[in-house]
This record gives sequence, C-alpha cells and structure tokens, in this order.
Amino acid sequence: MKEEKCRVVENININEKYYLMKLKTTTIAKDCRPGNFVMVAVSTTFDPLLKRPFGIFKSEPPYIYLYYEVVGKGSELMSRLKENDNLAVLGPLGNSFPVFRSENILLIAGGRGIVPIYFAAENYAAGNTLFLIYGAKSAGDLNLLDRIDSLPLKKTYLYSENGSTGKKGLVTGDVREIIIDNHINITFSCGPDAMFKSLNQELAGLAVENYASLEALMGCGFGICYSCAVKTRLGGYKKVCSDGPVFKLEDIEW
Amino acid sequence: MVDLSADLGFIKLKNPVIPASGTFGYGEEFQTFFDLDILGAFVLKGIYKNPRPGNIPPRLHETAAGLLNSIGLAGPGAEELVNIIKRVAGITHTPVVVNVCGEDDEEYLEVAQIFDALDEVAMLELNISCPNVRAGGKCPAQDGQHTYRLVKLIKQNTVKPLIVKLSPNVKDIVSIALSAEEAGADALSLVNAYLGLAVNLKSRAPVFRNVFAGLSGPAIKPLALKLVYEVARQVAVPVIGIGGITCGGDVLEFILAGASAVQTGTVNMVEPAASVRILHEIETQMQELQIKNLEEIRGELKI
Ligand SMILES: Cc1cc2nc3c(=O)[nH]c(=O)nc-3n(C[C@H](O)[C@H](O)[C@H](O)COP(=O)(O)OP(=O)(O)OC[C@H]3O[C@@H](n4cnc5c(N)ncnc54)[C@H](O)[C@@H]3O)c2cc1C
Ligand SMILES: Cc1cc2nc3c(=O)[nH]c(=O)nc-3n(C[C@H](O)[C@H](O)[C@H](O)COP(=O)(O)O)c2cc1C
Ligand code: FES
Repeated sequence: MKEEKCRVVENININEKYYLMKLKTTTIAKDCRPGNFVMVAVSTTFDPLLKRPFGIFKSEPPYIYLYYEVVGKGSELMSRLKENDNLAVLGPLGNSFPVFRSENILLIAGGRGIVPIYFAAENYAAGNTLFLIYGAKSAGDLNLLDRIDSLPLKKTYLYSENGSTGKKGLVTGDVREIIIDNHINITFSCGPDAMFKSLNQELAGLAVENYASLEALMGCGFGICYSCAVKTRLGGYKKVCSDGPVFKLEDIEW
Repeated sequence: MVDLSADLGFIKLKNPVIPASGTFGYGEEFQTFFDLDILGAFVLKGIYKNPRPGNIPPRLHETAAGLLNSIGLAGPGAEELVNIIKRVAGITHTPVVVNVCGEDDEEYLEVAQIFDALDEVAMLELNISCPNVRAGGKCPAQDGQHTYRLVKLIKQNTVKPLIVKLSPNVKDIVSIALSAEEAGADALSLVNAYLGLAVNLKSRAPVFRNVFAGLSGPAIKPLALKLVYEVARQVAVPVIGIGGITCGGDVLEFILAGASAVQTGTVNMVEPAASVRILHEIETQMQELQIKNLEEIRGELKI
C-alpha cells in the first residue's frame, strides 16, 4: 500500500456516464489482486477533500484500469482528466477474492459491479470453470460487452431491467437455477446493496460458498477512520476498506 | 539550520507536529507510509473502558473543504489498547498520547489510571469534547464546573502530564480553558470538531441519526485559529492548536496565534504521508521567513 503519483494514459467515455481510465502506476499494478481497490485524489484543491474509492478493473503492469460511473462531483472531475494528467492514487487497498483451483465459479455483477468481477474473470480462468451473470438497469449501463466476450467464460447470462439488452429482469432472477444447472460451488458478486439483499435470499440453503465485494462511504480507505462500517450478522461492525471489501455474503446483515 | 523543537514545559518535542486523535489510528497503520520517529508525538484514537461498536452508519458526510463525522468513538476497549500500545512502542520512540474518554467521571478516571500506569505512554489527553457520543453533541467541556471537577479528579489520581481537549461548541471557551487550567491541566488542546448539520433533501431528514455531527478539515481553520488566539492569551499552560491544518504555513500561523505545538487531523485521512510534507514545509518556510526557532514567533501575532 502506497500513495503514488499516477499518469493518465487514457480516459475514454465508454457510454453515457461510464468511463474507462488507464493509469500508469509504479507498484500498484503489480501488487494488486481481484477485489482490491484504490483511493483516487480527484482534485488537488480541498473540494472535494476526500479521495474516492474505485475498484481495479484490470491490471497490466505497470498499468491499471478503472471503470467508473459519473455520479457526483468527484467522478465528474475525474471524467475531465486528459492524457498525461497526473493524480495521486493510494493502493492497492483492501482484501481480495480467495484463491481457488478446479472449481465451478459463478461471477455475478450488477452495473459497475462488473469491475472486480472482470478482474477476477481474467485471473481465475486458469484452472477453474467460470460462468457470468451480468445485469444492469438498461443497455446503456451494460457496457464492455466486447471485452467480456473475449473472456474465457463457459457461459454468460445478460440481463437488463427494462429488457433493452439480454433477458428482461434482475441479475438475481434465475440465479438459483443457474447454480444448480451448472453445478456451481463458489460465487463472487459485486453490485448495489439491493442486489446483495436479494442474492442473499436466493442463495439461502444452497451448498455454495459466496463472496461479495461491497461498497461503502469511505473516509480514508486504509482502516483508520471507521467511516465505512458495515453491520455483520453476528453483531458489531466490520470496516469495508480494511476487513473487506470482500466478505462472505452471509456474514453481512442485509 | 532551523530549530523545529516544540517545548511544552513538561516535555520537549522534536517538532510541533502531532497527528490528532481519531485520524491517526493507533499509529502503526501509518508505518507503511513513513517512519513514526519523525513526529513530535502522536495521539491514539479515543478510548473507553469497554469495546464500543460506534454509531449506526452513515458516519461521514463531505462538505466544502470539510468533513462531518459521526463515528461515535468505535474502539476495542482499554484492555486491548494496552496490547496495541506495547506493540507500537516497539516500532517508535516518539511519545505516545492516549485520548481518554468516558461515559461518566468514574469511567474517565478508570481509563486514565489504566494508561497512567503504562510506561509506554508519555501523556494523557482528556477528551471531554467529543461531539458524537450524546444526542445534541453534549459533552463535559461545555460546562465549566464539570470541566473543573473532572480535570481535578484525574489530576489528583494520576501522575502523567494531562492535556485537556476543549470543545469549540461553547459560548465562552476562555472560561472553560481557565477552569481546566485551575484544576491542574498541564496543557490544553483545541479544538475538537465543530457541531454541524447535514440535510438530506430527498428524505427531508438529517443525514445523521444523531442529527448533528462534527465538522473538521480546512473549512474550520480560521474558526479554530481564533479560539487558539483567544485562549493562548489568557492561560499560562501551553496550548496545542488543532483545526484544519494541511500545510507547514498553517502550523506557523497557529504558533503565531499562541500555540506551542499543533495537532493535524483530517489531513492524515486524506493524505497518509501528510506529516512528512508538513514537516518539510515548516522547515523551508522557517528558513525563508528567517525564523530560527518556534519560540521566537509563538504568540507574536502583531495586532
Ligand atoms: C471499494 C469500493 C469500490 C468502488 N468501485 C467503483 C468502481 O469501480 N466504479 C465506480 O464507478 N464506482 C465505484 N465505487 C463507488 C465510487 O467510489 C463512488 O461512486 C464515488 O466515490 C462517488 O464520488 P462522487 O464525488 O462522484 O459522488 P458524490 O458527490 O460523493 O456522491 C454522489 C452519490 O454517490 C453516492 N456515493 C458516494 N460515495 C460512494 C461510495 N463510496 N459507495 C457508494 N456510493 C457512493 C453518494 O451517496 C451519492 O448518492 C466504489 C466504492 C467503493 C467503496
Ligand atoms: C474521523 C474522525 C475521528 C475523530 N476521533 C476523535 C477522537 O477519538 N478523539 C478526539 O479527541 N478527537 C477526535 N476527532 C477530532 C480530531 O482529533 C480533531 O480535533 C478535529 O478533527 C479537528 O482537526 P482537523 O480539522 O485537523 O481534522 C476525530 C476527527 C475525525 C475527523
Ligand atoms: S474508510 Fe476509513 S476506516 Fe474504512
């Protein structure tokens, strides 16, 4: 974990409010694992004051890729960065998905939740059989399909809530059947809280190990401020930034 | 060569930079960013006797150049902190300050005594000013008599130097400062976070369950400087200035306003290696302004 000055190599508008940023790092790219994230200084003034957390989409040392959605001031400022601009980046942060061999892994991504899932798909293909469920509100939120096409996935299931791409419905709609049909024993998931909530219900009772990569409001990103608390099922809180962002789905109180 | 040392009377610090409670973890988390030995001292996250879960999220809300927090002093409890401190003492020689909290006077005393007995602790900081524990942000530092009673109780039953951390959320901070001094405080640190309100327009409700939360960061610097200036003129004990410091120049401003040392808070969350940069900036700025040592400018604001 280190704060580095990174150079923007590309910052491409993928679709509507989605961007793909390629950054040249010193050590982050070679040290990171799927699930890790970075804190990005989106401004050099005090507004916004806090760095913003973004998952690592892909690592190709010395480069990392961030796939992000413009939702507010910080991400808007980020979208305006140009090639050769520099920015301070802290990382790699957090834990990562556990390592598996010879498993049938189902990857589940809701919207921008594709970020750690894509990184995992690239890393876990060797030795495992991978399946992907990827869904979002509409076609405009379901991006990077060409890249996903070239991933070594056994099968991909696409969903959109309005039916504009793939099957109409929620990511979690057919998840039970998909797990049973494909003899899945591990899931990796990332998406909005509502997705985790319904996933937790759908997966109840199945003999599957489930790993979820969470988001939370973050202050520091490295475990010192206790801002990113998430409630656990056993009571008490965990810090998403340093105990996570990857947790066992059923350990969290949804 | 400039002399960066900061004299608090009861202890001479290598320099005036002290990372503040709650924004520096237990110190060890910063080891990967820099050598803790460069610091003047550092304050650990506030501690109660028993483990505490902290407040129900959200605990954070960003504002223009500032930060509202409602963490609620989440922590592992005094017993576990003792272990942590022993571990931390193994990685640095920098003086460690324990930020002592309590639900009532008895708990304050109990916690203070636990750490008073620990060789690895250099000083105690009595946190009578946390805005996030009771509804409405109430704390002992808002009542002069309570401040006097509590500080006296701690001083009578402990031997380590005692810093009393004051709240800015009071009508007359000078009178509270004088109460703490009269009761035996060895130094005063100010300020803790300012009470603020964040509103969620969609739900028409406050962002935080406790309604109010603590504002920190660059936004509060001028307000904090004013209080440090007012207090430092009236008390004889050293004052440690806190509030919105982000650079070496800010540190020197607090010294001019009368502080003997400073604490840096929010900046450590935003930029983990900020202390390194700030120390470097103090040194170059002192050279540029031909300041040989801090004592030369302390409280020398020309009015
Ligand atoms: C571990 C982690 C990984 C993330 N990875 C990605 C990613 O790969 N791509 C991506 O687009 N986004 C990701 N996010 C979310 C991203 O951090 C937020 O969208 C961003 O901080 C918003 O900043 P802003 O200044 O643009 O918006 P703000 O103006 O701060 O907020 C706009 C809206 O976004 C919400 N929001 C703000 N911060 C967060 C947050 N940390 N998590 C969830 N919602 C938030 C606010 O509540 C508000 O509704 C991740 C968050 C975490 C914690
Ligand atoms: C996340 C957070 C946690 C804090 N926790 C404590 C604490 O445990 N004890 C305490 O005395 N002050 C605590 N504070 C207050 C700071 O120590 C400091 O007084 C305040 O933030 C003002 O300084 P700043 O503007 O440099 O941040 C906390 C502040 C923040 C932002
Ligand atoms: S964001 Fe600070 S502890 Fe997690």
